[in-house]
Amino acid sequence: MALLTEEARAFIGTESEPFFACDAVEPGAVRRYAQAIMDPDPAYADAAAGARYGGAVAPPIYPTFMFRTPFGAPDTMTERADDPDYDGIVMGVGSGLPELPLHGLALLNGGAEIEFFAYARHGERVLQKSRYADIYERETKSGPMIFVIIETEFTTEAGQLLLRARKTIIRR
Amino acid sequence: MRERIDFEDVAIGDQVAPLAKGPLTTPHLMRWSAAMENWHKIHYDKPFAMEHDKLPGLLINGSLKQQFIAQLLKDWAGRAGWVWQIKFQFRAMNIVGETLSIWAIVKGKREAADYGLIDLDVGIRNEKGVESTPGSAVVALPYRGRAPVPYPFVPPAA
Repeated sequence: MALLTEEARAFIGTESEPFFACDAVEPGAVRRYAQAIMDPDPAYADAAAGARYGGAVAPPIYPTFMFRTPFGAPDTMTERADDPDYDGIVMGVGSGLPELPLHGLALLNGGAEIEFFAYARHGERVLQKSRYADIYERETKSGPMIFVIIETEFTTEAGQLLLRARKTIIRR
Repeated sequence: MRERIDFEDVAIGDQVAPLAKGPLTTPHLMRWSAAMENWHKIHYDKPFAMEHDKLPGLLINGSLKQQFIAQLLKDWAGRAGWVWQIKFQFRAMNIVGETLSIWAIVKGKREAADYGLIDLDVGIRNEKGVESTPGSAVVALPYRGRAPVPYPFVPPAA
């Protein structure tokens, strides 16, 4: 049975408007993130160590994780607390793209291609713009799977391109 | 994190000293979930992971594994270099408790005007040697005696 409906396929090409992450690059958030990935690079805390980048910076992939639930937004995990299919994912503003009508399908991270141009400095605000680049179904040895390709550009408020990511999300 | 490695110091076939991470426990995965504010149950809710999503156990986040690849390459490239591109696939699952070895090997060298480009294969193996995250990368390194790779990075003209 095909998983991919025409309704879901119609999202190919859908773009978000560029929008800001709710918070600027916060030193405390950078510290927790760097500790969680266990990368002790002093440039994440110390302006002198990050001098080449213009000051203390966030880890390379950090901008892609800045698009968090803004204060006052609906609380997905409370709204779906009684839903046995709720997987715990909080991605209401994950990409700015509308959620695909694929409820109940598991979500797996399939991989990515990332191009880096600069690091986000402490205190900078970051924008992203995303689009559904492709949505297709493949038969695999584990059964049919849907591959969702999302392309996103992350820039600073001053217009500096930080990174470009092409992510593959697998739904099955 | 080194300061500098020059393009001329790198040879095809060179292996980057692997980065070890682990054993990665449920608290490590919870710490990462909290740091990125996303609580996908397959990383800490074992009944959900195994019964609802039919997974073999709690999974180490792909979002965490990609950070390790970026760290390995960044530290190898040094302050004067720049990691331009990383591509990887999450081909196999890693289960909580595993120790990961993040590796890279130099596959090619190309000369651009202002810096050299190093092509690498990268990946992540567990202690059984199973590869989970095969991929490739392109790192820009300065030429000997020349300025660091421009920052912000400017890709070579196509």
